[in-house]
Amino acid sequence: MIKYLHDIWTVLSIEVRRVFSDSMVLVIFFLAPIVYPLLFSFIYSNENVENLPVAVVDEAVCAESKRFIHKLDATPELSVVYRCHSMEEAQRLFKNHEVRSIFYFPKDFSTRLASLETARVVVFGDMSSFYYYKAALTGGNSVLIDEMHTIEMERFEAAGLGTEEATIQMQPVVLENTTLFNPSGGYGSFFLPGLLMLVIHQTLFLGICILCGDANENRRSLSYIPAHLRTRSIYRVLIGRSLCYILIYIPLTLLDLWFIPRWFHLPQLGNLYTILMFLLPFILAVVFFAMTVGHLLVRQKISPMLCFVFFSVILYFLTGMVWPQSSMPRFWLYFSYLFPSTPGVQGFVKLSSMGAGMSSVNHEYLILWLQVGIYFLTSCLSIYLQNFMRHRRSNSIHKIRKTIIATALDNNSKQ
Amino acid sequence: MGVIRVTHREMRKILLEPRYLIILFAGIVFSFIFFATITKEGQPTRLSVGVVDMDGTFLSRRMCHEINATQGVTVHAVYNNHSEARKAMQRGEIFAFYEIPQGTYNDLLQFRAPHFVLYVNSAYMLAGTLSYKQLATMGMLAGGAVQREVLRKKGYGEEQIMGLIQPIEFDTRTIGNPWINYGDYLMTTLIPALIAFLAIMHTAYSIARERQKKTMKSWFRHAEGNKLYALIGKMLPYTAWYTFLCLVANLIMFGFMGFNFEGSWLLMMVNTILLISASQCAGAFIASCVPEPPLSMGVSAIYSAISFSLSGFSFPVDSMPTIIYGASWIYPIRHYFLNFCDIAIFDNGFAYCWPRFCAMMLFFLLPIFGAYMLDWQERKQKKNVEPSNTNPPSTRKDTVLSVDKLEPTTDAV
Repeated sequence: MIKYLHDIWTVLSIEVRRVFSDSMVLVIFFLAPIVYPLLFSFIYSNENVENLPVAVVDEAVCAESKRFIHKLDATPELSVVYRCHSMEEAQRLFKNHEVRSIFYFPKDFSTRLASLETARVVVFGDMSSFYYYKAALTGGNSVLIDEMHTIEMERFEAAGLGTEEATIQMQPVVLENTTLFNPSGGYGSFFLPGLLMLVIHQTLFLGICILCGDANENRRSLSYIPAHLRTRSIYRVLIGRSLCYILIYIPLTLLDLWFIPRWFHLPQLGNLYTILMFLLPFILAVVFFAMTVGHLLVRQKISPMLCFVFFSVILYFLTGMVWPQSSMPRFWLYFSYLFPSTPGVQGFVKLSSMGAGMSSVNHEYLILWLQVGIYFLTSCLSIYLQNFMRHRRSNSIHKIRKTIIATALDNNSKQ
Repeated sequence: MGVIRVTHREMRKILLEPRYLIILFAGIVFSFIFFATITKEGQPTRLSVGVVDMDGTFLSRRMCHEINATQGVTVHAVYNNHSEARKAMQRGEIFAFYEIPQGTYNDLLQFRAPHFVLYVNSAYMLAGTLSYKQLATMGMLAGGAVQREVLRKKGYGEEQIMGLIQPIEFDTRTIGNPWINYGDYLMTTLIPALIAFLAIMHTAYSIARERQKKTMKSWFRHAEGNKLYALIGKMLPYTAWYTFLCLVANLIMFGFMGFNFEGSWLLMMVNTILLISASQCAGAFIASCVPEPPLSMGVSAIYSAISFSLSGFSFPVDSMPTIIYGASWIYPIRHYFLNFCDIAIFDNGFAYCWPRFCAMMLFFLLPIFGAYMLDWQERKQKKNVEPSNTNPPSTRKDTVLSVDKLEPTTDAV
């Protein structure tokens, strides 16, 4: 037993030295997980689009349209920066991006209101970003509902209903909205928890791949295995190395997934102990996944940066944070479970942003442990395979060299 | 002449080792197919929602059926109480739920406005917003139906009733994406951004690889010692390849997939060519400034990974902190995105795009600085060659050696 521990300790100390002697890995392991989360949290610190510049074209010129415009200006989302005389003028501003939306009150707005018909307001939205459109509609709708109630009240009263009756008639069913887990509906609160988890995933993955590439370039790959453990004890090597990464990543995950959400006021309802419990299989799964890929595919130290970084965008999409998993085509849903990021992000968002208990993330937790098991085996296999290939190659090179020398000696002796 | 020779050399290198070109090409094709198939339906459909039916009358059941019949959402389950539904939401099974309180039917009959509460999970932005939209419309319609019934009984005519229950309505025109298609909005910027990202990384990689293989001298010799020619010659094959890919991607998106495109193809082509070449210039600049090959790849990745956020297609850049708004200009994709909006959405001509074209052309100055840096590094290296012979080996080498000693390899056996 003590021998086992000693072996693990040897591997661990070698790996720690390797990590700290490589500037590239240091950047990936320490700089990226600290700088990126801070930077992204800062970028998305203004959660919503506020005071979106809009133009109004008021051809109706009546008390109701004026009141409507005043209320639009008073919403936090919108700011009426231009009052235009004609649609052409507003369109010019719209094309110049000086306004992001136009509210157009047609001439018949007041007459329709007066004749108790439905009056129409035309809203033009800039679709270059969904958030312009969303802000215009959110601001517009809140004014619309408010105005509707005011006008309805007037009409019911004019129709001879008493105030109380009119109120009930106006709202036979009261609709209440409660937004859970991201009350302001902010972009940062939605986007960042998943992103923070993905940063941990990607930096750990890239760092390990780079270490694999480095070992391969410097012909040290067997190497992860101290001489006396060479053939049958790959798992001791794997445990030693994964311990090294876990030790490095515990403080980083604490910073990224606990303190940064706290400092930047992201939704945080979970408790630390549960989150750490959940993160253990996540980190292990990423480590073994990275080792499998690294030993199988990575041959150069700098190639992981070229080939794997752009995959982060796809990984984020696969987690189901943007496009819900229930609407994903079956194939992509199953494909997404190849990566630890999918159950990792889903589980973390549920635990941290939504305050779920461990029982609610059963599914994700199970998948992560399953991944740990499977990727542990595949990483053993891939290290074994790499050793085997390398051994055979070096043997064959050795043989060729021997035969060359032998023939040369033969020739010499003949001469 | 030097440029052509370097280009020739680079192309031969690529043909001899086409591994990364093929891998990255496969990556682009994969991403394209991925985003095209995943956003095929335009907006997420079959969003699961729930109903907490505490009333249990025919009316509440009818409401469940009607929610189920609404386009885009399906009722995942009917729950008995609030906490069950909330747990289901925390498990991610439903994105929103309606709570129909006890005695709703009685309240309606007795004119005592019952309270329907709609809970929405906003941690999933798109799914939450869409299911909220569907369910809120559903709730409004339910309220409207009750109002209409009562007013009918009171003897009002149909038109009058509509005027009474909906005095104002919005007529929404979404300029640039009339179907509110998420794929249109996402892919038109994300795919060029991905290609530009790879152009930056691949250019940086090709320079880093020269350093790593210590073939810088042969590279400069082909350019007759002119570092600028060397950089330009090196970038050209990649410019051609990635511009071609980006143009084909645009053609597929706007031509075959029918995404909204109003403006001139010529301007869009210029925009694409400038995007790729400006991105490459940034990549070449970073790779020539940072002398250590792996570190230069790291810096390029750190620089370009934020480009997706700072292009501003997801969350508008003008709503970000001012300093970030300013920083977004150092990304070619930001200029590309603004031009794309002008060209494809607003059909604005050259008069609107030229300042951004000029801004992208400013990136062409970067290789000049890069060439200067390369020159400087070479001179510094030459100066260091003689004294370094007497220097003891660096500490880094020591650690490598000691690690080697600790772990003997089978190679040695």
